Amino acid sequence: MPAVLTVDPRSGVPIYLQIIEQIKRSVALGVLAPGEQLPTVKQLAVDLTVNPNTVARAYRELERDEVIETAPGRGSFVRGNGSVEVSRAAASDVAAESLLQAVREAKSIGLTAAQIRALFEAALARWFPEER
Amino acid sequence: MSISIDHLTKRFGKFTAVDDVSIEIPTGSVFGLLGPNGAGKTSTFKCMLGLAAPTSGTVRFDGKSLQPQTFEHLACVPERSALYEWMTAAEHLEMQKRAFKRYNEKRADELMQLFSLDPRKRVRAMSKGMRTALSVVLAFAIEPQTMVLDEPTSGLDPVNQRSVLKLIIDASAQGTTIVLSSHQIGQVERAADHIAVLKGGRIALAGAVDDLKAESKIVEAIFESDTAALNGLSSDARITRVEKTGRILRLTVSAGSDQLAGQLTSMGAQSVRIVDLNLEDIFLNAVDGGQTADIVEQV
Repeated sequence: MPAVLTVDPRSGVPIYLQIIEQIKRSVALGVLAPGEQLPTVKQLAVDLTVNPNTVARAYRELERDEVIETAPGRGSFVRGNGSVEVSRAAASDVAAESLLQAVREAKSIGLTAAQIRALFEAALARWFPEER
Repeated sequence: MSISIDHLTKRFGKFTAVDDVSIEIPTGSVFGLLGPNGAGKTSTFKCMLGLAAPTSGTVRFDGKSLQPQTFEHLACVPERSALYEWMTAAEHLEMQKRAFKRYNEKRADELMQLFSLDPRKRVRAMSKGMRTALSVVLAFAIEPQTMVLDEPTSGLDPVNQRSVLKLIIDASAQGTTIVLSSHQIGQVERAADHIAVLKGGRIALAGAVDDLKAESKIVEAIFESDTAALNGLSSDARITRVEKTGRILRLTVSAGSDQLAGQLTSMGAQSVRIVDLNLEDIFLNAVDGGQTADIVEQV
């Protein structure tokens, strides 16, 4: 697997969640393709210098979410069916949560809905200039 | 090997170093034992290794109390170097080879090179870091099933500290059970899956690192005027600390941050935010806090 993962163990976000989120993001973006092999739990744990049980927990949850599958003796792979859709949905959830936080923050400092909408329009205009 | 510490108490005269500590460590787990100096970590380790007799309680390995054959699979890096000043590194390795059937000579050579240790050097002439590195080499060269590592990176430079962490992680991935203590909480945060925080010989906090991080938060609320009455907040078991500074109310919580944030909003807070805590924050909070929430009023 390419070096797509960087975890920040000092962050308040649990390491296994960081691993899950980044693998899903990589699958959503096609950096990890369906059928591609993931490093073993041990390899990833040593590479990231994090606890192997933490990596194993991330892999278990990714299997449960049908993003990866593990063949005994062969290793873990990005699933062929549905993994991209699941990962895109997860990445979209992460984006939605960021927007929610941003609106909450804007509201908590006293901005009105109209003011927040104007800020949002300005942000859209910056990232989608062609749609102006 | 799994390790069960059950109601362990160790007294030295009138002083209680370890006070009714119970810890379960499953096989292959890396367990971080944290605590300020004098919290009872080293005494706990001594009881585990048979270097001190518990006043009461038991330590079991795979369900059995410490037996001579347990030592064949048990390695430790003690807090204070247990090396012989007048002996060379090579002589220490030779002793380890004679004492342990599991001693792996090739592995020992690799480890000596990893830490750039000179086998001909006498311990007397070694720096603090070199002594720690040699203790680490001796421990890992016997490829043990269980390790007790008390400050295994003290005196080491950042490169060698990272090497020790990688050795711990690699051993853990192969099923070795490791108990680790370090004042460098960032290392424990990487290497450990579970931790306990000792304070005054007792467990102040214990759990899976990821669960503790997921649940421990600061909920910070800003009120329109002076903070609302703290009705009931200080008796909520999930709140470990309450800080009040004029219009700002800051709650340190061990669980239920979303619900408490909602509660503060309904109490009329103008702004509420939830802040993540890392292991160092969680540790300091556990060491600082009491049994019930402290209300700290600041001017």
